[in-house]
Amino acid sequence: MRRNDAVSRLVDLLSSLKLTLLCLTLLIVLVVACTLAQVNLGIHLAVERYIRSFIVWWSPEGSALRLPLFPGGGLVGGVLLLNLVFAQFRKLEWSWRKGGLWIVHVGLALLFIGEFATALMQVESNIAIEEGQTKSYSEDYRLMEAVVVDETNKEFNEEFGIPDSLLMSRREISDPGLPFKLVVRAYHENAMLSRGGGASSPVNAGVGVGMSIQPRHPVTADGEQNSSVAVVEPVLPDGKSLGVYLLSNALGAPQGFIHEGRSWKLALRLRQYRHPFSLTLKDFRHDRYPGTNIPKNFSSLVRLKDPAAGDDRDVLIYMNSPLRHGGLTFYQASFGKNDTLSVLQVVRNPAWTLPYVSCLLVSLGLLWHFGVMLKKSLAARAA
Amino acid sequence: MSPRRLQTAVFLGALALAAWPGLSPAPKADYDFETFSRLPVLEGGRVKPIDSFARNSLLAIRSKQTVLVDGKSLPATRWLLDAAFKPEAADTYPAFVVDDPEVLGLIGLAQDKGRYFAYWQIEPKRDEIQTQAAAADQVESARRSRFQSALLHLHGRLTLYERVKNTFMLSGQGDPVQELAAFSALLPTALKAFHSKNPTNKDRVVMKALSDMLQRFNFLAQAAAFKALPPKAGAPDDAWTSTGEAMANPTGGHDPHPSLASFALMGRAYRAGDAPAFNAALQEHVAWTAKIRPDAARSARVEALFNKASPFISGMALYILALLLVFAGWATRRADVAAAARALAWAAFSVHTAGLLAHSVLQGRPPVTNLYSSAVFVGWAAALLGLVAERLHRRGFAVAGACAIGFSTLLIAHHLKSTGDTMEMMRAVLDSNFWLATHVVTITIGYSSTYLAGMLGIAWVVRRHLPLKPDLEASKALASLAYGVIAFSLLFSFVGTVLGGIWADQSWGRFWGWDPKENGALLIVLWNALILHARWGGFVRERGLMIMAIFGNIIVSLSWFGVNMLGIGLHSYGFMDKAFVWLSAFCALQLALMGLGMLPARFWKEPRTNP
Repeated sequence: MRRNDAVSRLVDLLSSLKLTLLCLTLLIVLVVACTLAQVNLGIHLAVERYIRSFIVWWSPEGSALRLPLFPGGGLVGGVLLLNLVFAQFRKLEWSWRKGGLWIVHVGLALLFIGEFATALMQVESNIAIEEGQTKSYSEDYRLMEAVVVDETNKEFNEEFGIPDSLLMSRREISDPGLPFKLVVRAYHENAMLSRGGGASSPVNAGVGVGMSIQPRHPVTADGEQNSSVAVVEPVLPDGKSLGVYLLSNALGAPQGFIHEGRSWKLALRLRQYRHPFSLTLKDFRHDRYPGTNIPKNFSSLVRLKDPAAGDDRDVLIYMNSPLRHGGLTFYQASFGKNDTLSVLQVVRNPAWTLPYVSCLLVSLGLLWHFGVMLKKSLAARAA
Repeated sequence: MSPRRLQTAVFLGALALAAWPGLSPAPKADYDFETFSRLPVLEGGRVKPIDSFARNSLLAIRSKQTVLVDGKSLPATRWLLDAAFKPEAADTYPAFVVDDPEVLGLIGLAQDKGRYFAYWQIEPKRDEIQTQAAAADQVESARRSRFQSALLHLHGRLTLYERVKNTFMLSGQGDPVQELAAFSALLPTALKAFHSKNPTNKDRVVMKALSDMLQRFNFLAQAAAFKALPPKAGAPDDAWTSTGEAMANPTGGHDPHPSLASFALMGRAYRAGDAPAFNAALQEHVAWTAKIRPDAARSARVEALFNKASPFISGMALYILALLLVFAGWATRRADVAAAARALAWAAFSVHTAGLLAHSVLQGRPPVTNLYSSAVFVGWAAALLGLVAERLHRRGFAVAGACAIGFSTLLIAHHLKSTGDTMEMMRAVLDSNFWLATHVVTITIGYSSTYLAGMLGIAWVVRRHLPLKPDLEASKALASLAYGVIAFSLLFSFVGTVLGGIWADQSWGRFWGWDPKENGALLIVLWNALILHARWGGFVRERGLMIMAIFGNIIVSLSWFGVNMLGIGLHSYGFMDKAFVWLSAFCALQLALMGLGMLPARFWKEPRTNP
């Protein structure tokens, strides 16, 4: 009996309108805070800190302390979603009169679920293609990967990618396909490299010998790029070292070694996503308004080849008109090299249709509900 | 007079008053300035009348559409003509507004000489300004000091003026007709000289003369502020050229653009003060343009007429008159005054509508494309809503709110004009009439209705502190109106926000990016939802609803203008700098009104039974 009491009290709380008001207020505060924080943090970090988190933490300047400051967007949104669902079934009557509100709330729930799904599942990357070039992979904006490439075979290179999350969390990385394990001696998300002064550096092979590493704070501003540094050492099963290498996306020169007749290459680069199809840039256009430099349109004419889907066709990607293919969406994002290079943003977001459905439902629901209200009010005036 | 007839009379009278500036004949002058101001030119990516360019340039340079010379106000087109053909005169007009004391110090001018200065006063320090501006330009815009921003701003205006001076002919240099004739005469001999195997000394002199000339034309082609020569028959529609471009063009010599001669003649005549010759050359160019490019000529004529009629200025005046009449109606409690006020408000709204439609049609876009047109539209939609709401409760509140918002938004739009061409071309991602028409219009209607609800809230609060006869019905009517308007706001701001997300999904690959503009829109939705839920739950009643509605004014203003000021800091120059002060003052006023509304009952003038 007492347990039931507790449960029903919890259900009461979860379905209360007071909780709705509290959540809406907290959400308003979070949105304002996130907007103001963008001035200093950049949009990505501000969203991570205030919206895509369960708790907003605060670290006093110069201390390692992390104090919970405020509920984060994830928490408030989650509670609001629960509140919505509970209130719906506890409070709202099943009637034509309340039909509009039902639809509105279903639509809102979808919108919340969509935003959660996006936060969890969306992967963004980009493809930079020059005219005439063909690519079948895209690159991440921020995340790095170390790669070990077996270049022995001229026709086909075998690649082993190691995401930066592993480089940060593990001391050793091994793979059945590799005759050696990779010992991670250090990993810096962002660091400045300079020649000389690296006498104490453990690096003893490759282009990184004698370089010094000064760790930096990871960049936050949009469009800035970390120069990440990994110090790795391939070690044979018998414990013999094949050298300590310094890898960085800021270094262009290839580095590698030959072991038992196989030629290996090591590199750190932006994480690549392989796709089962290829895009060839046939033409990039940058139209301007006559007599000005005001851009009118950017467009990329690409050849899409996907043997599995039986696709081999031309596609024109331009502003407000992306290509959707294979669960990915390709947008015209940027350009360069005197208008011969096009950069396409590639997004995988399985939840992209939810906002469309939600928008439709909420609009209809609100129209319905306010229509009923207006009718009632007019009838009361007439009476 | 019966109320109906009175209303009709007021309405038609107001419309006639508003139409007067557009219909009135031009003041008598020897020169045909009116026709010159309607000439089509290509600038900023679109064809517009010289009038629009001249007004916008003078607005940028002097913050006014006219310049005061010897106590007489000179229209923008006259200023442009003087700058282009008689620069020695235009250089003495006090056309540059310079406020910054440090910039004045750099130029060596004292602040006590007023704030308007002539080009000749600044010219001695022109090189210094150029050097300093180049240095300031290296600094990221958010980090510039007040001096650097002000200096860059002045440099930009000086450059614009110098371009105007070098649009038709090299600034103040000789007789353009002679130059053109000399060029045509020189070209055949010079070409022959170029092809001769062993050039004589005379050949070299001729070649040198031609290359000097071409150098001047090339400079002119670079410097021109706009392209005044329409494309010849058969050329692409956007192949407009400036005088310099047409001369430097290889065909310039043997198949010259027919209007080159017209403009040269106009220039000579204007310099010589020969009005009939000027008018004749002008007519020749007009006739040729009308024949070859009739569409451009017509659209420029219509736009110039729109500029002249300035419907938004008349609208502003009518709104404020209507508002005063509403107050008079409340004070006198006379039904005929209230009826006249309503008729006047409808007239103001009609003029506003005409202006909005004309602007939209001229630009070939849905009504909202930039900050300027958003201000015009916010006011329009709020006025419409208010006038319709007035029909539900005829107490004058909604119509007063409509007039107040209509007037203030048109005033804001008027001040936003100085930021540039109000019919500017839309940058790539915005070049989508579909999304401009759906997302932008919907969200802007959301702004309008939230403001209207806020105005009703203000009316409710102010009424309680006025010595009125107790009228519970009126307060109730206001609250129920506000409630309906808030519901309307929620619908439009939500749909508008989500449509914006869908547009973002179509163009950038993310539905929601939490960027400042999106967050601003979301705040309006959240706030309206909060008000309605608080009311449904009984947590607030009439008073709470009205006070929350007033806070809606702050939210919309921050979302509309505040986010544009984010990161700009207080160092920015020009409109946003002043706007920041006004925005802060507006928000403070709203907070004060909310405080007034929250005072306990014994402070009210109007006795009340329930809170």
